[in-house]
Amino acid sequence: MAERLPTEQLLGLYEDMLRVRFFEEKIDQELFPAGLIRGLTHLYIGQEATGVGVIRALEPQDYVLSTHRGHGHCLTRGSDPARIYAEILGRRDGLCRGKGGSMHLCDMSTNFVGANPVVGADIPIAAGLALACKYLESGAIAAVFFGDGAMNTGAFHESANLAALWKLPVFLICENNRYAISVSVERASAVTDLANRACAYGIWHETVDGMNVSAVYDAARRAVEVCRSHQQPVLLVANTYRFVGHYTKDTLRYRPPEEARDMFREHDPIHRAERDLADNCGLPMEALIGIRERVKREIDDAAAAALKSPPPPAEWALEDVYAADA
Amino acid sequence: MPPTPDDRRGYAGAASRGDPDRPEDRAPTGEAPASPAAPAMREVAYALAVRTALREEMLRDQRVIVMGEDIGLYGGVYGATRGLQREFGEQRVRDTPISEAAIAGMCIGAAISGMRPVAEIMYCDFLSIALDAIANNAAKLRYMSGGQLSIPMVIRTAAGGHGYAAQHSQSLEAWVTHIPGLKVVTPGTCADARGLLKSAIRDPNPVVVIEHKALYQTTGPMPAAETLEPIGVAKVTREGADVTLVSWSAMAGICLEAAQELAAQGIEAEVIDLRSLLPADFDTVLGSVRKTGRLVVAHEAVSYGGFGAEVVAQLAERAWGSLKAAPTRVGARFAPVPFAEPMEEYVLPGKKEVIEAAQRCVGTG
Repeated sequence: MAERLPTEQLLGLYEDMLRVRFFEEKIDQELFPAGLIRGLTHLYIGQEATGVGVIRALEPQDYVLSTHRGHGHCLTRGSDPARIYAEILGRRDGLCRGKGGSMHLCDMSTNFVGANPVVGADIPIAAGLALACKYLESGAIAAVFFGDGAMNTGAFHESANLAALWKLPVFLICENNRYAISVSVERASAVTDLANRACAYGIWHETVDGMNVSAVYDAARRAVEVCRSHQQPVLLVANTYRFVGHYTKDTLRYRPPEEARDMFREHDPIHRAERDLADNCGLPMEALIGIRERVKREIDDAAAAALKSPPPPAEWALEDVYAADA
Repeated sequence: MPPTPDDRRGYAGAASRGDPDRPEDRAPTGEAPASPAAPAMREVAYALAVRTALREEMLRDQRVIVMGEDIGLYGGVYGATRGLQREFGEQRVRDTPISEAAIAGMCIGAAISGMRPVAEIMYCDFLSIALDAIANNAAKLRYMSGGQLSIPMVIRTAAGGHGYAAQHSQSLEAWVTHIPGLKVVTPGTCADARGLLKSAIRDPNPVVVIEHKALYQTTGPMPAAETLEPIGVAKVTREGADVTLVSWSAMAGICLEAAQELAAQGIEAEVIDLRSLLPADFDTVLGSVRKTGRLVVAHEAVSYGGFGAEVVAQLAERAWGSLKAAPTRVGARFAPVPFAEPMEEYVLPGKKEVIEAAQRCVGTG
């Protein structure tokens, strides 16, 4: 069992999770209902411990790839929340000039190569980045998030085999939130212990409680160490849960209503970190409240700034299709 | 449909059958031509022209790596990569498992971090397996990232009917020319097989290079010196005043042969090898049709929904007034490519169909 994290470190992870939670709640409760967001938006509420625990175990030079549920990854990696909001709102100051939106965030200033909403498509791209890291001897690794649904794609299996065969430093992170939209793992996968998939390719693997940020951070650090120093792929399966729908309009008919309620009551990663900080680290409740208020203000300000950004000019649509010759 | 010889025009398919597997160490690198006006040429197999381009670019740039099925130890099913693994090692010339989706996806990742990957997808029919990576990702990641990412990668693949039936014979350029963000080139000569591939490797965008499987073992002239051919520039390979024949890939050579027969009948055809389909040099086509007033566009792909329709549409929109006759398409009949030879010949277009279309166009058919 892992040693308890130093208070300072746990506080950092807690604050990161809060930032993601508040960021997403603002979308869920204000921006989307107000009709300010077009199309599809997939929220990370409930899964914060996984993204935060993994990303904090990485180095700045490492690449991060994500999925359609990528706001939290992008934010935790260090992007300006105002620019993420601006992108999600389709504004001029968005990270991707308003061309990507919620599902295609990208910020190369933090090596956040991007969210990729074609399920499984990010995995071979990550393997290719890892190939380059190894070939160019950059010392970096490529960390790629995907869901339980992506485990059933050919892209996962082809990439896992190749990464193992070629000993590529790619960190595979399966966020098993139990449902691929509406289809549960039990209804989609012949083997429900998803880490077993790694055995077929001889890949180092571990399964972790994805609702416990300390445990995720700890497991991720082990995985990163193996990945980087041994130059080989690793798989971390984080068992987690999304408290909200697959996307903002989800009817949630496929899971019992009490399931999310019970998961929230008993396994909310933020409550858990708070309890840990209060009970085990002896932090006074006022300190935690102070952090909450500060992070909440930060998110409010970011959203307000993004809302001031104008829509992009229509003509931008024809830019960035091709790179100019060097 | 293997083309027949026309070495004078620079098309693969010359009478010299020479050994296409002649050692790659004879591939020229960087020799200056005797004179810029008439560059020294040498006769090579199309496969060797491809190999020459790969080798030259690998020597020039350490970031260029090559991957694909059977391309290393075996040298590629068409010999286009023969000897490269021996010369550059297994890190740079990588035999992959049969995993087209991962091959194409990995090229994207490698390209993002500054490498110049070149993948071989053995048959363009198998692009279907790699198409998510190519069309949804390679083509779009730069755009969706607001210009933050560049994807300098090349997918080499082979089109064309050659006795392999429906799943190894298609000409699927229309699949990829429909996708903004990609570039698509279709070399029909040895000079272009080398020169366009070299440009593709240096291009900062994803480029699909569609070679033709009937050409690999045929020979034709290639500049002795290192030469790049620009992407997006057509080539007028024969001048004529009566009708414009537009084509690409192996069919461009067939159009030249057709033009010779037409000349014997008193019809002077202007022949244009488009070479690059995305971007395509429609200005050269339009300039020619303004002179001839007549257009035949010929390709081996199925006529219906083929790239020829785009050529005709561009012409109709931009040079309607110049037309003396309805533009005509020559393409494959609307069926999968069949196996038995008489059926394959019936479905795929050849010289006869091009000649008949030109005759109809000028009113003598």
